Amino acid sequence: MTTQNATTGLSRPPLNGLHAERPRVEWKQLGDAEIPARFSGPTDEGFRLDHCGLADLSALPRFGLRGPQAAAALAERGYRLPDEPNRCRIQDDGSRLARLSSTEYLLLGSLTDAGQRVSMTAQDWATLPPGCYSLPRQDSHAWLVLTGASTARVMAKLCGVDLDAAAFPAGHIAQTSVARIDAIVIRDALGELPCLHLLVDSASAAYLWPALLDAMQEFDGGPLGLDALLSPAAA
Amino acid sequence: MSRYEPLDDAADAVASRLPAPMGSLIDRERPLHFTFEGETYRGFAGDSIASALAAHGRLVLSRSFKYHRPRGALTLAGQDANTLVQLPDEPNVLADVRRLEDGLSVTGQNYSGSLDHDRDMRLGKFARFMPVGFYYRAFYKPRGAWKRWEPLIRRKAGLGRFDLDARGSYHDKAYLFTDVMVVGSGPAGLSAALTAAEGGARVLLVEQQPQLGGSLTYARFDIDGRRGERLRDELVSVVARHPSIRVMCDATCNGWFTDNYLPVIQGRRMFKVRAKECIVASGSFDQPAIFRNNDLPGVMLASAAQRLMRHYAVKPGRRAVVLTGNDDGYLAALDLHEQGIEVAALADMRPSPENPALAEALAAAGIPVRAEQTVYEALHDKSLHRVTGVELRRIVGTGDVADQGQRIDCDLLCMTAGYMPVYQLLCQAGGRLRYDDEAAEFSISGLPAHLHIAGSVNALHDLDRVSEDGVRAATEALRALGHDVPMPQRSAPAPRRVNHPWPIFPHPKGKAFVDFDEDLQIEDILNATRHGYRDVQLVKRFSTVGMGPSQGRHSALPTARLVARATDRSVSETGVTTARPPFTAETLGHLAGRGFDPFRLTPMHRRHEALGAHMMPAGHWRRPAYYPATDGSLARERCMQEEARQVREKVGMIDVSTLGGLEIRGPDAAEFINRLYTFGFLKQPVGRTRYAVMTSEQGVVIDDGVSCRLAEDHFYVTATTSGVTNVHRSMLQWNARWRLDVDIANVTSAFAAINLAGPLSRQVLETLCDDVDLSAEAFPYLELRTGHVAGIPARLLRVGFVGELGYEIHVPSRYGEALWDRLMEAGAAFGLRPFGVEAQRLLRLEKGHVIIGQDTDGMSHPEEIGLGWAVNRKKPFFVGRRAVDILAAQPQKRRLVGFRLPASSAKPREGQLVLEGETITGNVTSCEYSPTLGAVIGLAYAAPEKAAPGSQITLRVDGGQEITAEVVALPFFDPDNTRQEL
Repeated sequence: MTTQNATTGLSRPPLNGLHAERPRVEWKQLGDAEIPARFSGPTDEGFRLDHCGLADLSALPRFGLRGPQAAAALAERGYRLPDEPNRCRIQDDGSRLARLSSTEYLLLGSLTDAGQRVSMTAQDWATLPPGCYSLPRQDSHAWLVLTGASTARVMAKLCGVDLDAAAFPAGHIAQTSVARIDAIVIRDALGELPCLHLLVDSASAAYLWPALLDAMQEFDGGPLGLDALLSPAAA
Repeated sequence: MSRYEPLDDAADAVASRLPAPMGSLIDRERPLHFTFEGETYRGFAGDSIASALAAHGRLVLSRSFKYHRPRGALTLAGQDANTLVQLPDEPNVLADVRRLEDGLSVTGQNYSGSLDHDRDMRLGKFARFMPVGFYYRAFYKPRGAWKRWEPLIRRKAGLGRFDLDARGSYHDKAYLFTDVMVVGSGPAGLSAALTAAEGGARVLLVEQQPQLGGSLTYARFDIDGRRGERLRDELVSVVARHPSIRVMCDATCNGWFTDNYLPVIQGRRMFKVRAKECIVASGSFDQPAIFRNNDLPGVMLASAAQRLMRHYAVKPGRRAVVLTGNDDGYLAALDLHEQGIEVAALADMRPSPENPALAEALAAAGIPVRAEQTVYEALHDKSLHRVTGVELRRIVGTGDVADQGQRIDCDLLCMTAGYMPVYQLLCQAGGRLRYDDEAAEFSISGLPAHLHIAGSVNALHDLDRVSEDGVRAATEALRALGHDVPMPQRSAPAPRRVNHPWPIFPHPKGKAFVDFDEDLQIEDILNATRHGYRDVQLVKRFSTVGMGPSQGRHSALPTARLVARATDRSVSETGVTTARPPFTAETLGHLAGRGFDPFRLTPMHRRHEALGAHMMPAGHWRRPAYYPATDGSLARERCMQEEARQVREKVGMIDVSTLGGLEIRGPDAAEFINRLYTFGFLKQPVGRTRYAVMTSEQGVVIDDGVSCRLAEDHFYVTATTSGVTNVHRSMLQWNARWRLDVDIANVTSAFAAINLAGPLSRQVLETLCDDVDLSAEAFPYLELRTGHVAGIPARLLRVGFVGELGYEIHVPSRYGEALWDRLMEAGAAFGLRPFGVEAQRLLRLEKGHVIIGQDTDGMSHPEEIGLGWAVNRKKPFFVGRRAVDILAAQPQKRRLVGFRLPASSAKPREGQLVLEGETITGNVTSCEYSPTLGAVIGLAYAAPEKAAPGSQITLRVDGGQEITAEVVALPFFDPDNTRQEL
C-alpha cells in the first residue's frame, strides 16, 4: 500500500526521456523533478547561451488562471499585471506573469526560487474563488527557452511572425504556430541576453525539440542545461 | 577560324583569359578541374560551367529540342535554354549560371551519339514536314496508331535524364521581414535601396547574380568606358556597409503574391519575404534579332559577350560582327575592340546612332559601320558548331532587305535589337503591360499599392534617369511607410529610343528562330495565325511559343509583332502572353522545404517502445497497436488475441492518454453540457459518469465520450482521440452564441490516462490506492472518484468500454510514466500485461460498442447505429435535436447490425459490401475473429428489414466471393453486462 500525495520523484517532464538519450547529459533536481544541468562542457554551453541555445524548463512550475475574476485574484496575491493582452511582466521575485487575453494569465516560475512562489500560489488556489478557473499549464505545456543573438533568425525558419527584437520587443507575446504546432512565444532577456520562451503542447514537445535543434544547426546552436541559465552571463 | 577549334591544351585556356579588371567574378588563384563530355577542362572558382568552357573555345553546350541543332550560350545570364546540361544527379542545369565546382562531371543532353555528332540532327532536314502543331494532327490515324508512336515520341521528348534513385537533399524555408524589399541591384535598385535605408527603412536588396550592380557590372555606358564602374563602386561601397540594408546575392525573387508576399530562392532555401513596400528594379532583357541561323553557337546577345569579358575574362571570339538596333551596340563594339577582338563590322539597322560621337569613336577605332544594314544570314560549316561569317544586306523596308549582300568572315556575332522589360513580377501583381507602337517600347501601369517600379523596367534607359527613378521609387515607398520625406525633383526627360521596331528578317530557307527553346521559326508563328489563331494566347498554346524553359524572355516581343502584323493589328492591340509565377524554374525541394510533420506522444511512450510495441498512428498521436506475444512474435492476430484473452481472464492495461479531455466549469456547466450532448445531464449526480453522444446540426453523430461530474459546476468530459479538437472548437463556437457562464478548456495533453481492465483489476488497484474505497458497493459501475494511486492525484472512472470490470485512471501527465511503472509493478503478481489498440477494438467489438469514425460515417444518426437510447427526447434542446427528430421519424434506410460467421469462414474486411441481390445495402465497418466467442464477428450497415436477429445478410469479400452471415443481437458477449458491473 502506498501513501497518498507522495509525488516526489514521480514527476517526469515531457522531454526528460529524450534528454536521457544524450550521451553526456548531467541532471539536477528542481522541485519534484529532474532537469538537465548540462548537455556538454561549460565552454560550449556558454557559447550557445550567447549565440544560440535551447533549454528545457519544463520542470519549473507554471500555472494558468482564467476568468472574469482572475486579474483581481492575482492582484490580491501581490502580482503586478501586464496592462494589456499579449504582454508579459517580470515580477520582483523573477517570476513572469503573461497576459494571454483580457481575462487569461499565465504564471511562469522563477529560476531564482526554483518556481517556489508560483508553485505555492497554485497550491493555495486548489479551490479558487468564483469567476476564476485554473489551467494545468504545468502538464499541458512544455516550456522551452531559446537564447542568444540568433533567436529571431532561428524562429524565422519555423514561425510566420516577425520575432526580431525591433518588431517584437521584450515583454511582447505572440500566440502563433511554430513548426506547425500552436505555441505561446514570449520575448524576454536573461540579463543582457535576448531569449524567447516557448510554451507548447507537452505531447508535441518531443517533436518540436529536434525540430528546433535542426533549425539552430546553421547558427552552431545546441541544447543548454540549467547551469548555463544560472551562470553569471544569464544573471 | 572557320570552325570550332578547341585550344591546344588547358594551360592555353587559362593563359588566354583577359587581364584584370576583366573577370570580376573569377578567382584566378583558385583553379578548378572538371569534365565535359568526358574531356577534362580547367576553370577558376567563380566561373560558370559555360564561361569555363568558352575559355577553351568550347561553345556547343546543348542540342535544340526539336531539330537537334547545336546550341551555345545566348544570354550568359541564365535566361535561355541553350545552356541546359546534365549533371550526374541533376538534369537541365543552366551551364551559364551554375557555378563551377572542382571535379564536376558535366555532359550534354538530348542527343543521339555524341554532343558534337548528334545523329538526330538529320531531323532538321525534315523540318518542312514538321510544321507547328503537326503532332496535334499526326500519329492519331489510323485508329490505334498512337500506341505505336507514343513510345518513340516519349523517348525523343524531354531533355535531361532524371536519376530516379536520387535522394532529396536538405532544403528549408525561412520567413524574412522587411520594410522595403528591392528586387534587382542595378543602378535603379542600388539607388532605391540606399535612399530607402537613408530614409529610415529596413531594406532587403535581392540580386539574382553573384555580385551587386546589375548592368553596371558588364555594360558600357559611355565612350570612355569608366562611368559604369565608377558609379557601381560608389553605390556598392555604401550599400554593402549600410547597417539597414541586408544584401542577398545569388537570390531570385520568384514571384509576387498579394500584400508583397515574395518568395526568394537562395541556395537551398526559400525565403518567404513579407515586405511592407516592394520596389521592382528588375531591369530589362537584351533582345535578339531574328534572321536565318540566328541560333548558331557564336551568335549571342551583345550583353552576353560583355558578361563573358567583364565577369569571366573570357574572349568571346577573335573576329566579331555587331548587329544593333540602338546605341548600346556601338558601346559593345568598343568593349570588344578594347579587349583585342577584331570588330569586322557594326551593322546598324538604323540610319544613324542617336549619339553621333559614337560613330566617331568607332571610326577612330577602325570599326566599319554599316548603316541601315542587317545580318540576313549567319553562315556556318557543315557541323554548325560555330558561326563562320555573316551576310549583311541593306534594309529596304520593314523586314525586307536588298537582293544582294556582302559576306564577312567572323567567329562571333553580337546582337542587340532592343530591350524587353523584366515585367514578370509586376504583371503577376496585376500590372498592365502597354506597348507604344510609335516608340516600340513597353510600359507598365496599374500596379497595386505598396508595389513600385524603377529603372529600365520602367522604360528608362539613360543612366541618370534610371538612378533618379530609383530614388523616386524609394521616396514613394518611404512616404507609404509614414516617413515625412519630400518627393525629389525630376530632371528634364531625355528619352532614348532603344528598341528597333522590326528586327525580323525572314529568309526563304527559314531557320530564322523566334523561340530557341522550341525551335520555332518565323514561319511557325505565321502558320499559327493562318490556322485562325489570332489571339496571342492561342498562338502560344498552338505553337508552344514561350512555353519552354526561358518562358518567352526573347520570343514574346517578336511573336507579338508577327501576330500583330499577320492579323493587321498593332502590338498594343495583340499584347503579350500572361506572366505567372514562378519567374525561374524552382525545384520541388524548394517548394517542399523542410518537412514538418508534427506528432504527439503520450507520457508513457518510451515504456511502449521499451516493451517492443508495434506502434500505429492515431491522428497526430502514436499509439501501441499491440505488444509482442509471449513467444516474442509481432504477428498482429496472435498478439491481439493474447492480449484480449488476458483482459477477459485476468487483467490488462492500456494507455488511453490520447483520449480527449475537456474541462467545463462554471455556474452554467450542466446547462452547457445538456445543450451540447444528446443525453440529459442537468440531473447527472456529482460523482457519476454518463455516456455522452454529440450530434451535428444535421443530426449526424460526430463524437462520443464520457461526462464526469466532479462538482455541481465542474464537468470533465472525454472525447475521441481524433475528434477532441473539433469538439473543443465547436464548444467555443456554440458558447459564443449562448453566452453561458462557463469556462471551456481542452486539457487533453494535461492528463495521462490508463484503463486498467479485467476481473483482477480491482485487486491490482487496491495495492496502490488507499484513499478510495474500491469495493463494488462503494464504487459501483459508472461512478467517479478522486483520490490517489501510488501517491499520484487521480480521477478514477468506472467505465466499461471493453466490457470488463475496469478503471480509467486519469492523472496529471507529468505522472503518467510513474503511474504506468507502478501499475506494471503492482500487476505483475496478477499476470497484468499491457494491451494495445487492436485488442481494445476487438474487446469493444465483442461488446458491440461503436467507434465514432469507424462504425459511423457522415450520414450516421443515433437511431441507425443503435444509440437511440442515448438521446433524451424530453429535454427541449440539444444541438442537432430537430434533425435527429426528423431522421428518426422517417423510414430508416439502413441499420448498423451485428453479424456472426463461423470461425472457418473467410473474414470480411472493413469497407466490404453488404448486398441484397445486386443492390448494395451497406458495408462492413468492423470485423475480427473473437477467440472468446470462437467466431468471426462484426458490425455492418444493412437494410433495416435485415436488422432482426436471425436474419441473413450477404457480404462480398475478397475475390468477389459472397458469403452469408447471420445477424445477431448485440452485444456479442456478456449481454447482461455482469462482468463490467462486478
